[in-house]
Amino acid sequence: MDGRNIKRIKFGSFQPDIGVLLELKPEDFTPVKAETPEERVPGTENGSYRHAVWMRFKKKKAATAAFCVLVLIIIFAFAGPIFVSYGYDEFNSGAENLFPWHYSLEDQAVLDKAMGSTEDRLSAALNKAAAEKGSALSSIESAKIKAESDNPFTDMSKIARENNIHKKPFGYSLGELERKAAGEKVFPHVFGTDKYGRDIMVRVMIGTRVSLLVGIFAALLVLFIGTVYGLISGFSGGGVDMVMMRFVELIYAMPDMLVILLLSTVLKPALINYQSSGEGVLQSLVGLLGPNLIAMFIAFALMYWVTTARIIRGQVLRLRSQEFITAAKALGAGPGRIVRKHLLPNCAGQIIVTACLEIPSAIFLESFLSFLGVGVAAPMTSLGSMTSDALSGIETYGYRLVIPALLLSVIILTFNLIGDGLRDALDPGLKMKGEKL
Amino acid sequence: MAKYTLKRFASALVTILFVICVTFLLINSIPGGPWTSDKNPSKATVEALNEKYGLNKPPIVQLGKYLENLAKGDLGVSLKMQKNRPVAEIILEKFPVSAGIGFFALLWSLIAGIFLGSLAALKRGTWADSLIRVVCTVGVSMPSFVIASLLLTAFTGKDGTGGVFPVIFDFSLGFKSYILPCFALGLYSMCYIARQTRASMLDELSKDYIRTARAMGLSSFTVVFSQALKNAVIPVITFMGTDIALVFCGGFVVETVFSVPGLGRYFVQSIQNRDYPVILGTTVFLAAFIILMNFLADVLYKAVDPRIELTKGDR
Repeated sequence: MDGRNIKRIKFGSFQPDIGVLLELKPEDFTPVKAETPEERVPGTENGSYRHAVWMRFKKKKAATAAFCVLVLIIIFAFAGPIFVSYGYDEFNSGAENLFPWHYSLEDQAVLDKAMGSTEDRLSAALNKAAAEKGSALSSIESAKIKAESDNPFTDMSKIARENNIHKKPFGYSLGELERKAAGEKVFPHVFGTDKYGRDIMVRVMIGTRVSLLVGIFAALLVLFIGTVYGLISGFSGGGVDMVMMRFVELIYAMPDMLVILLLSTVLKPALINYQSSGEGVLQSLVGLLGPNLIAMFIAFALMYWVTTARIIRGQVLRLRSQEFITAAKALGAGPGRIVRKHLLPNCAGQIIVTACLEIPSAIFLESFLSFLGVGVAAPMTSLGSMTSDALSGIETYGYRLVIPALLLSVIILTFNLIGDGLRDALDPGLKMKGEKL
Repeated sequence: MAKYTLKRFASALVTILFVICVTFLLINSIPGGPWTSDKNPSKATVEALNEKYGLNKPPIVQLGKYLENLAKGDLGVSLKMQKNRPVAEIILEKFPVSAGIGFFALLWSLIAGIFLGSLAALKRGTWADSLIRVVCTVGVSMPSFVIASLLLTAFTGKDGTGGVFPVIFDFSLGFKSYILPCFALGLYSMCYIARQTRASMLDELSKDYIRTARAMGLSSFTVVFSQALKNAVIPVITFMGTDIALVFCGGFVVETVFSVPGLGRYFVQSIQNRDYPVILGTTVFLAAFIILMNFLADVLYKAVDPRIELTKGDR
């Protein structure tokens, strides 16, 4: 560059003197020393945005704890079945209706002796009641006593208490106890078994797996649709935006549970027809997942994207008028580049938080539908269908209901807490203003 | 205000019409029609049945006919569950039961939710606040069927019905049998309302008029419950529209669990039995009800706080 054309001294200007800059040589530079904490410019500690978010997230005790619990649940659901030697749909004959506890073989022998046969117990109970009353029993009274003695478990625990026999944890059938006594290795039924002799712990693991996967995939589907819709609507603006948002309002005003229940009913026969129509890839996919689950995915995708779309549209509208977008436009960036390079990365926070709040609502919905019998089809299981199955034996086998029901609540709770924590960490200025969910 | 109300009403009507059309066309697109799950009727029988119920005409004509009948209050007749009984009559019989339970569930959740939320804001940072927040966070994470089934486990007596509260709904027992279903239905709303009230109350408490009131010597209790509360419950009103939908849809499960002879349980049964006119009629009725309630909540919201500008696409 010709030195004469450069103004050497620009009076009153703070611009660096380009001539001086051009004449700088490598020797003029010295390496920067590692800065001490005191020298750092405030607010730039620890570098990247991602790191700052992570630090803020770690400070939220509830969210971190929820994250750890969720990791444990995921390990339980995905690695657990490897260690348990029973299949989730395996009927263990002779091990039906086991409780999550057992009596040792010797104790069981004592109990059996003390209890006697069912008829003995019934006549003993009848005689005792008659003796107490002092006269013969009416037919209603004897029927009542008969009904009570039909449930051997109440008597058994009473006798066990009288004989000072304690329950041991985990369920074993008598046959399994004998094999164990003979030195064989027998895996315990930690949560007992159901009426077909299926191991409940394995079923809970598989059910958790199904619930988690369904939740995550449904949420991804909804996120994708909602994000694309919101981006287009917010970015286009004007008449397009208005029409698109009218449609969102229309879907938003429809009662979602009602429509989803209806859709899953309507879609099921159509999907069964489709499944038997040929041997293509899509047909086998329907066969693999079951028509109920596919119907649920479709219904969820049709109804739940509106929340995401509204959030993303709002964010895009806020960003669209900012200087850096104008700058990008001025530099000749096309709409595709602006969306990809500028809008999407700035929506990432919102997208992640929405995902964390959509997953529990998908899990919730799956369990709701399974509970009503229009969800996951047998022999596959989910936490919702296990809860629903357990309702019939609730008086005696309450644990079968409590375990999946509580696990389901814990999963939803952890996702909610993580979502709340992430929202605060990503955008400390934004506090709960009562969005949906 | 009148203009806004009219506009909202028109859009509610459009939504209802949309739901009716979509539902009708969906139900009509089910392959095989309503007769398939019977013991394989002969072709002639199916044709005769289709002729009788007008199912052989093109869908658009059927839809027009359905809308025309709907305007007269005729929702068709049940095909399977209560053969030939008008659907409208069934709904009129079942709906009051659901509405009764829904009403009490809403009532207790509203009162308890607003009270607990205000209390948490008043006692911010204390153990009472933490306790309420924990309970409410857990409460919004429990699906209504989990709450209902856990209640069922806890209150089922040895003979299946006993215990303090009856787990099987029975009109003859009066209000006692309302307690468990109402509790299960209202718990989620109660927790949600409490969280919402707490957040908006904290917002409200940081404002100038509250400081003035405190400076004039009013106790913090009086300030919270007589001054700030009026403004803090406004956001709760918006939730009421959604909440009514939640309560009535949650009713599907809760009514099934507690054997309440309401519309929710009947709807679930009609789905399991594939009684299409009943499914259609119930969906249309419930959807219209929920959308109208949403409309009322919106209008009320605007009436309570005229400052609120409700713009397009933003509620």
